[in-house]
Amino acid sequence: MLHTVKGSALLALGASVALVLSGCSGAPSATVSSSGPVTMTFWHNSTTGDGLKYWQDTVAAFEKENPNVTINIQAIQNEDMDGKLQTALNSGDGPTIFMARGGGKLADVVAADKVMDITSQISSDVKSAYGSAIFSAFTIDGKIYGMPTSVLPGGIYYSKDLFKQAGITTPPTTFDELNADVTKLKSAGVTPIALGGKDAWPAAHWYYFFALRDCSKDVMNAAAAKKDFSDGCWTKAGEDLKAFSSTEPFNTGFLTTSAQQGAGSSAGMLANHKAAMELMGAWDPGVIADLTSDKKALPDLGWFPFPATTGGAGDPSAMMGGSDGFACLKTAPAACVQFLNFIASKSNQEGYATAFKTLPASQQAQSVVSDPALKDVLSSYNKASYVMLWLDTMYGQNVGNALNGGVVNMLAGKGSPADIVTAVKTAAAKG
Amino acid sequence: MSQAALTTRVAAGRRKRHANGSGATWGSPTTYLVATILIAVCIAPVLYIIIGGFRTNSQITVDPAGWPKPWVVTNYLQVLSSPVFWQEFGNSSISAVATTAGAVGLALMVSYVIARYRFAGRNAMYSLFAAGLMFPLTVAITPLYLLIKNLGLTNNLVGIILPQIAFALPATVIILVPFLAAIPKELEEAAAIDGAGRISFFFRMVLPLSLPGVITTGILAFIGAWNGYLLPLFILNNSAQYTLPLGVQAFSSEHSVDTAAVLAFTSLSMIPALVFFSIFERRIVGGLSGAVKG
Amino acid sequence: MSESAEALATRSSGSQAARDGAVQAPSRADRPGRRKADWRQRLEIALLSGPAIIIFLTFVIFPVFMAAYYGFFKWKGFGVPTNFVGLQNYLTIFTDQNFLDALKHNGLIVVASLVMQGPAAIAFALLLNQNIRGRSVIRVLIFVPYVISEVIVGTGWGLMLQYQGAVNSLLTNIGLGAFKVDWIADPNIAIWTLMVIISWKYIGFAVILMLAGIQSIANELYEAAAIDGASYWQIQRWITLPLLGPTIRVWAFLSIIGSMQLFDLVYIIWGQYVASTAGTSTMATYMVREGRLAGNYGYGNAVGVAIFVISLVIALTYQRFVLRRDTEGALTGDSGRKGK
Repeated sequence: MLHTVKGSALLALGASVALVLSGCSGAPSATVSSSGPVTMTFWHNSTTGDGLKYWQDTVAAFEKENPNVTINIQAIQNEDMDGKLQTALNSGDGPTIFMARGGGKLADVVAADKVMDITSQISSDVKSAYGSAIFSAFTIDGKIYGMPTSVLPGGIYYSKDLFKQAGITTPPTTFDELNADVTKLKSAGVTPIALGGKDAWPAAHWYYFFALRDCSKDVMNAAAAKKDFSDGCWTKAGEDLKAFSSTEPFNTGFLTTSAQQGAGSSAGMLANHKAAMELMGAWDPGVIADLTSDKKALPDLGWFPFPATTGGAGDPSAMMGGSDGFACLKTAPAACVQFLNFIASKSNQEGYATAFKTLPASQQAQSVVSDPALKDVLSSYNKASYVMLWLDTMYGQNVGNALNGGVVNMLAGKGSPADIVTAVKTAAAKG
Repeated sequence: MSQAALTTRVAAGRRKRHANGSGATWGSPTTYLVATILIAVCIAPVLYIIIGGFRTNSQITVDPAGWPKPWVVTNYLQVLSSPVFWQEFGNSSISAVATTAGAVGLALMVSYVIARYRFAGRNAMYSLFAAGLMFPLTVAITPLYLLIKNLGLTNNLVGIILPQIAFALPATVIILVPFLAAIPKELEEAAAIDGAGRISFFFRMVLPLSLPGVITTGILAFIGAWNGYLLPLFILNNSAQYTLPLGVQAFSSEHSVDTAAVLAFTSLSMIPALVFFSIFERRIVGGLSGAVKG
Repeated sequence: MSESAEALATRSSGSQAARDGAVQAPSRADRPGRRKADWRQRLEIALLSGPAIIIFLTFVIFPVFMAAYYGFFKWKGFGVPTNFVGLQNYLTIFTDQNFLDALKHNGLIVVASLVMQGPAAIAFALLLNQNIRGRSVIRVLIFVPYVISEVIVGTGWGLMLQYQGAVNSLLTNIGLGAFKVDWIADPNIAIWTLMVIISWKYIGFAVILMLAGIQSIANELYEAAAIDGASYWQIQRWITLPLLGPTIRVWAFLSIIGSMQLFDLVYIIWGQYVASTAGTSTMATYMVREGRLAGNYGYGNAVGVAIFVISLVIALTYQRFVLRRDTEGALTGDSGRKGK
């Protein structure tokens, strides 16, 4: 009989082909001794504008100084970066120099032994220019795995004109004052606060800042080490946020507003005077500038730090922020760390600050910051008693994702403050 | 019956089909009213996208439902004059055409086997392809990337063409099999009597009769490949190889998206797929009829 | 009188299965002297189907197995998976309320798609089947939404349906400001918004499919009915509709499978977090949120496999009970035993 079992024979063939192919995985990228020609790949997320140009110029300058080095640049959109990087690193084909933001996310990559330890190779010039605090975001188990290029502390950006219109003379320093200001803005017919709830992290940032005010520094660091969120301050932060949101300070429909995705985003609202305030990181002035009607910086943009709460265990001058930076692949050539030291130099950091309209990591380069709102950020940053990393970066993707989801659920009326903490525990079961 | 007579029959059939088309009359007003409403509903959001390209981000934020004031042509001009756009256009074209040719060609061969040969593995083969419809590409991408890398095909259009062909096969096979099966056995028997082998029968009879089906699946495969985003995103690292869907990245920076430019870009990139479709539209209708006859 | 090949095919398709069943009875292999033909046939089969099968196994089936393999681990996505957890991921999936909610949403989408698109598509097809001027243009225009990628559709609709977007703005401009609602985030409305968008995208495809099915019905039947004095709508009710059966069943199959896989539209318009609160999350958005976004790649792969299995079960059930009379029992291998 014709039975050839064709189907299963072909399946077996296919499977054995696949097994053979998968066996050839994981060949590390070839490293050439530093005396010979060196090729590196460089992934960053500035796909357009001044940022793209900055990197092209900086890489060209480095190649000029080191004629035997060639660097291939690839610009990848921010949202796609994580996925693409994971796939590439996992296949043994990762880029030599890649974007990293520190914290738990970086820790996962370090744990998989994919990142180079650069502690001993950071030049002394850079160390003195940067100070030591800034490296804490990229320090895992006492070793430094990345070079920061910017600091992005968070706070509330506001429109001075709209405040004046509502009769507010000074920015609030406590939450009682902020609540009063919200009422004044509403009576003046202005949306008090723009919130990009669709992306979840802008809403979660409110929670993170409440946690910063309510939880002590030690509790927050302990949570990073042991993923232990049992301290009551975490729930208190949720309750504070719930109480604040029940005064309806956010724009109607904030759950469908994105944070920065062009027109209709919360940044867009601020840029076109459709809302008075927004809690954001130090990239906001640049984003807002892109969305104004004349595509120039918003002239009346101001900044004040997250107000103090009552009864919290955190220091009112503490700040939270992120840090963009770059790391080297474990098997990268020596030229990789040379490149990292290069981009950390004073002139390159100054160029970075100008191109990205943001705060450079290097303290030496900070004098070049001219935007008034950013200047306020800088002075608060330098006076802060301590600076925490964004909690979703610090605690890793799994916990961060759970926190983000829990906050959105609560703000949408689908969960309680306690549920935020429960969500973290549930997430632990999946990863 | 001789093969010549059969061919005449087939040709007569086709002529008759064309005869139907030219006797078009004016329909009732109700019909046109319904059609207009349907078209309006279908096209309105598309018009929103196209017109949105003529505005600035600020305009869209301040007056979402308004007309452009003023009409801004820089977005469209910027896209049309950018060499990157045309390069991506070329890459997309290569990818889509190759995928279509590969998918339809291979599927035609397999469908022919499944539809007209009798052997025990037949149903297993059909089930194999049908099962492929069920798997989300977002999960397949991680092992797929590893495989493509091991084949040395990253950064190469072939690296996205081959998987695209593979993922287009299930739907193509499912549509083609019943269509090929519907070709009457008498034609085949008559051809055999005339001494023509199965292969010759394939080229002389099957292909012309199944051309509508082939074109249908061709269009579906083309549209799928043209719009594909996930595969090129992960597999193409060199911006010289980017296809059009990836080109949207050029308008999104780390913290922001130039919405108006994105709308202009996407409006322009949907045009080729629409043109391709409208050229071959007449054939689709004839093509799918085979699938539903079972 | 020359019959068209179509009429021939139509008449013969009905008895095709029976004829095939009959052909199979006297097995060719039993007759000596056909051995050579067998070999040749096997070779033809191998040559014709080989390339497609190899490509398909390599690029589609192999990743399925790899994903199933990863699903047994807890894995951060870097390096080789080492934390074997067996079926624990699958257990977590089916006890997670978020997944069950997503499954429920998928079910709702499946049913609502069938109910909203099916009758409408048939009605439109019947109306547009008449050989009127402009038929081509109409068909092209209603097919446009299908041609545009889901990403573009999502971006455009997302912009329009935002609370401060075009739709609400338009309502305000024409004085209907009282009807402003949160089309996307309001859990009472969101699922219907999604259904409207899905129907918008795929109605054209359904109409074209139905039109094709109608056109495969032999003209003689219409001619006979017209001679008997039946009106246009009577003909549609008694001839067209019943004979559209196979078309409807195939379309329903494709619609069901598509609804189970729905991802891009929801992801782009709702984002992965609001989709849950608004009640529009699907299994695929759950997979991306709990897998790739949370860095839990092992778990994410397990969800992918779960989606695959659920879709497969539904497809097999559908093939067995609904489609078997139209196709030759393709997935369940019943050909020849049906005794039609």
